[in-house]
Parts: sequence; C-alpha cells; structure tokens
Amino acid sequence: MPRGLLQLVFIIMVNGFICATTTSAQTPRESKKVLILFAHEAQQSAQIIAEQAIRSTLIKGTPDQLEIYSEYLDAARTPIDSFEKDIVSLLRRKYEDKKLDLILAFNTPALKLVLNNRSVLFPRTPIVFMILEQRNLAELHLGSNVTGIWAESNYRSNLDLALVLQPETKRVVVISGVGQWDNYFRAAVKEDFQPYEGKLEFEYLTGLTVSELQKALSNLPPHTIVSFISSAQDKARNNTGNLEVLRQICPVSNSPVYGATDAQLGLGIVGGRLTSFERLGIVAGEISARILAGEKPEEIPPHGVPGIAMFDSRELRRWGISEQSLPAGSIIRFKDPSIWQLYKWHIAGILALLALQTSLITILLIQRKQRRIAKESLAKLNAELERRIVSRTAALDAKTSELETFAYSVAHDLKAPLRGIDGYSRLLLEDHFTSLNVEGRSFLQTIHSSVEEMSQLIDDLLAYSRLERRDFNPDHIELAPLISRLVAQKNRESIESNVDFVVDVNGSSVVADANGLMQSLGNYIDNAIKFTRKVPRPRIEIGAKEMESTCLLWVKDNGIGFDPKYGDRIFDIFQRLNQPEDYPGTGVGLAIVRKAVERMGGRAWAEGKPMEGATFYLEIPKSNGATLTNE
Amino acid sequence: MNEDLNPILIVEDRATDIDLTKRAFAKRHLLNPIQVARDGEEALAYMDRWRAGEPLPVFILLDLRLPKISGLEVLRELKKHSTYSRIPVIVLTTSAEDHDVEEAYKLGCNSYILKPVEFNKFIEVASQIEVYWCALNTTPTT
Repeated sequence: MPRGLLQLVFIIMVNGFICATTTSAQTPRESKKVLILFAHEAQQSAQIIAEQAIRSTLIKGTPDQLEIYSEYLDAARTPIDSFEKDIVSLLRRKYEDKKLDLILAFNTPALKLVLNNRSVLFPRTPIVFMILEQRNLAELHLGSNVTGIWAESNYRSNLDLALVLQPETKRVVVISGVGQWDNYFRAAVKEDFQPYEGKLEFEYLTGLTVSELQKALSNLPPHTIVSFISSAQDKARNNTGNLEVLRQICPVSNSPVYGATDAQLGLGIVGGRLTSFERLGIVAGEISARILAGEKPEEIPPHGVPGIAMFDSRELRRWGISEQSLPAGSIIRFKDPSIWQLYKWHIAGILALLALQTSLITILLIQRKQRRIAKESLAKLNAELERRIVSRTAALDAKTSELETFAYSVAHDLKAPLRGIDGYSRLLLEDHFTSLNVEGRSFLQTIHSSVEEMSQLIDDLLAYSRLERRDFNPDHIELAPLISRLVAQKNRESIESNVDFVVDVNGSSVVADANGLMQSLGNYIDNAIKFTRKVPRPRIEIGAKEMESTCLLWVKDNGIGFDPKYGDRIFDIFQRLNQPEDYPGTGVGLAIVRKAVERMGGRAWAEGKPMEGATFYLEIPKSNGATLTNE
Repeated sequence: MNEDLNPILIVEDRATDIDLTKRAFAKRHLLNPIQVARDGEEALAYMDRWRAGEPLPVFILLDLRLPKISGLEVLRELKKHSTYSRIPVIVLTTSAEDHDVEEAYKLGCNSYILKPVEFNKFIEVASQIEVYWCALNTTPTT
C-alpha cells in the first residue's frame, strides 16, 4: 500500500475514534422534562403569550436538553370539579414514566389541581405556579417544593394612571360580565376603587351584550373614561370572550377604554398599567430554569410581579394623549414605523453609496486639481526655460557674431602691415639692388615668400569665416558645366602642372549653395593638384552619382595618398600631414569644404592609402531642408 | 608732375598704402598729380575745392574703411551730386565682404578692386587702372 494512502487511513481512524468518544461522553446526560399545566384552552390569547414567554425563557436558561409538555384544562368554560379524578388519573398514567423534573401550573385551577392531588401526581416533583390573584393562595396549601408568582393587582394604579393622563375625567364607566370570574374581578375592582367614590362618578355596566355595550359607549358624556375589567359571559349567557368584546366595542366608544392585560393591547384599548402575561411568563420561566439547574423551590420565595405601563400608540393619538405625559419606562406598541424604521437599510445603503460616490468624486477632484497644478507648474517651468533659452541663444548669437566680426577685422587688419612689408622689401630689391649682396637679396626673397604664405593664410581664414556668416542660398545646379568651368580655371592657375583631368558626372544635378559647392570642389581639386605634383603622370578623376536621396561627388587622384588613420583629421582646421616645404598649404582648405558641405546638410570624407592616391567625397542631399527659392 | 594733367584723388588713411600706391603709379610712369584725403571728411571737403574751381580728378581711389566718415558714405555723397557723380570712383579695399561689394555697386562705384598684398600685384593693379581709366575710358565733359 502506498505510504500516502496509509497516512490517510490512519487519520480517518483517529478522527473516527475522537468522534466516537465525544458522542459517548454526551449520552449519559438525560434531558429535563417539564410539564406545563394550563388552566385555559390552548387558544386563549393571554395564555398563548405566557406559554411563548415561558418556553423561550426556559430553553434560553437551561443548558440541558429539554422536553416540554403542555396540558390545557379549559377550566373556565368547563369547570373540572366533577371529573377531577379522571383528569388526575389520565395525567398520572400519561406522565408516570416520564420522571418529570418540574411542573409549571398556570393560573389557579391548574395549581389547585396539582396541589389537591400532590400525593398521586408526582409528589417529589417541584412545582412552579403562576397565578393572577395573590388572594387565591389563601385557600390553598402550598406545602413543600412549591414556589411561584402572582400578578400584582393593577386596577387602582391603572385608574391613577388614567387620571394623570386625563386629569379632567369626571366619570368612570366600569364594564364587566356576569360569569364566575367576571363577578370575582368586579368585586375586587369595586374594593380597589372605593377610595375614589365621591370624587368620581362610577357607572357599572354589568352583563351587557356587545350591542348594548356599543350603544352605551357611543353615547357617553364628556370627561368619561371606560375601564374594562372582564366580560367572559353576558347576561344573555353569551361567552363572547374579553378580547372579542373589546374588538367590537372599542371602535365605537366615544371615550377612551382602559384595559387590564397586555393580551388586550391592540384591540382598541388605550392601554394602562397592564398585567403582562409576557412578563409573567418570563419570570416563571426564569424561576423554573433555576430549579432545573438545582436550586430548591424553598430558596425562591413566592412573590408578586408588578404590572407594566403599556400603551397603544394609535389610541393615544386618537384621544389626544401625548407620549410625553406617559410615565417613564412605558412601553408603546403599534407605533407607525417611521420612514427611518421602514427604509432604514435602503437609506443606509443610499447614504453609503452617496458617501462612496462623494469620496470618489472628492478623490477625482483632488487628483484633477493636483494634475492641473502640476501641469501649470510644468507650463511655467517650460515657459521659463524657453525664455532662458531664447535669452541665452540671443546672448550666444551676439557673442558669436562679435567673435566673428572680431576675427574678420583682425584678419583684415593683418593684411595692411603685410602689404607694407612686401611692398618695401620689394622696393628695396628693385630700387637698391646694387647696394645689396647675394645674401641680402635672398633674405628679401624669403621675406616675400613668407608674406605670400601669410597672405594666403589670412585669405583662407577670411574665406572660412565668411562661410560661417554668409547666407545659405540653395539653388538647382547642373554639375557638368560647373565642373568644366572649375577645371578650366584650375588649369589656368597651374599651367606648369600637366594634370590629366577626367570628368564624368552623368548629367547629375543637385540643390545646393552654388558658392559653397564651387568652393568645396575647387578646394578638392586644388588639393588633388597639390598632391599629384610629384607624380609622373598626374591624373584627377571627377565623378558624380545620383543616389536615392543624395548626390555623391568625388575627386580621385593618383597622388601621394595618406594614411587612412588620418582620414578624418585632415578635415580639421590647420591640420596638415606633410611638411610645408614639400607641400605648402595653410591647413584650412579641407576645413572649409567640410563646413560648406555641412551647411548644405551633406557630409565630406576621404579615403586613401599612402602612395596609392586618394579619393575625396562630397555627399549632398538632392533636395535638402533648405527649400529652393525661385527668384 | 605735369600741372596740365588732372589729378588723381586717393582716399586712404594708411600712410604706407598711400606711399605704396604713389610708388606703384610712379613705377608705371603715371604723371598725374596725386591728391590725398586721409579720411572721409577730408574727401568730402574736396567738393568745396572743386566748386571753387580746382580741377576735378581723373578718378578717385577710395578705401572703404576710413576714419570719421566711411568710404561708402563718401561714395553716396559724391554720387548724389549732379556733376561730381561723373568722376569715376574705384573702390580699392581689403574687404571682400559680399555686402560691401554689393553696397558699393549699388551706390554707383565704377570698379571694385581688392588690395593685393604683394607689391608686384599692386603695381599690376595700378597699371591696369591707369590703362583703363586714364587711357581707355571716356567720361562726359562738363
């Protein structure tokens, strides 16, 4: 078996073992079993509220598994005295094997049933009760292992509250039925309202049918309030039920109706200090959870649970009662949800989107501003740079022009004394010939040739300088006539040389500065003549070839040539490769060529080998940047 | 010097150049008396002397680079005048500047000659000037 697979099997086995041990550790804890015995039928509203509160509180407060059983005695409609034994026997048989941990009795009939049959119905199981009237405990013997709560009587405090909210009240209409419980509650209320007799006018509407109540309530005099006690049964023996009665009478009443319990809230009562079944259920659930956790019922003495001031927002509005006048801690139900409550998440979402959008826009605006600032400063910098370039260029131009003028003037003025030197040395030679010996005459000859050399140098410098300053005038030039004119001129100038000129320019033409081209080719030819002087059969070829965008010209000689490593240096000003005695020259001629050609946008270079002749090239654009002027 | 011959006016600031010019003409056996103006102002002052009856020169040798008033200015003044504009003016200068040559011809100079450095060539130039302007050329008589 591969090693990886073995590892996998091992891991699975170990995990399986851990899972098994965890499960087996949990199994010994048995679930807690609770029986809730309700006095009323399952659908009784108050009881439903209480049951929900009990169950949720119990589940929340008990870490163990819970099994909750509910039994509904329906004792209000069918009093259980006559078949109590049957019920007890049924309950006993039903729950004997369950081993109940707790019995929760809701309301007096249920409590009475368990207490009366304690010996049969699970004597060791703790009992938690939840009843409405403390005085009902008087006729019961609680015994041990029993605790519970009751609802504190609210009738009086309810009236107190009503009078605070509606201080102008003069009359109180008390509604009650004629059922067993109705009579019981009415008696209690009468007792509670005793202190108000004389101060307020009380009217007891007892046992009226719904329609009678509707009629009565719609015709109440001003400054009246209605106190609804209970109306389980009317004098016509209708068991309409409190909640249904309220649902039908409240809408037609012309005075506010104060109720008794939170089960009635929402049916049209204003509210009041109400017995809260929810609160009772929670408290009973909490006590039950404590006992299930191990506390003894004796450690939790029975106690009352006060009512809670609760109101129906819609009714408050209907009767013009401000929420501000309600006691602190009042619970207001059925509030119209505000726009905020209704659309809280929409609004939050929209706000979040808006915030996001705003921040994005802000970021974009900031970025845009930063970019604009950067752009502006760049533009400013550019402008400043431009301005500086312009001013420096102008300064430089002025300096260059000054320098050129200076060089030119110097060259010019150098010629005047030269003329003096030559003139007078020549006069000396001619007019005082006899007074001079041979050596003196040869000195004067040397002076003369020195002057000649210097004069040539100055002329070349002037030409070079003039090239710099002269305007460049491009012109369409046919090469053949230009070169034959040049050759003729050069032949004339150097009669003693017997150079064989070979010209073949193939009818080429260029766009160039005529003076510059003439001077360049002239200097090339001069150069070729000079360096072929000592060759037996001097020969100079002049050629041209039109290329794609340029015209190539060359002057080829069979002279002494040159070392190729100096090929580029010979174009530098004052650069010479030979002794002036052998090949006199100023070293400016080729510099002039290069400058002239570069001004035309072309280039000049040379190829050669010692004693094998040289070829000097000119490459000129056919139509260069300088446009042809048609004059 | 032959008193009957009209003079030649040399407008030149350099003493050696004046002397060499005179000697060059002398070598060519030119007999005309030589007058000299050492600057532009002196040159223009000759106009008053001509007005007073002094004989007009056969030609004027004019240098361009002169103190006080430039050779081109002198040329302009001369050529403005109805009579004196007929006097041939030969610009003899070291300047081979295009604009000098152009300007001089525009103003009406009759010839523009570069001053050679070598004396032999100078003599040659002098000789040619003499042959052309004194022997061949005809100017209208006043």
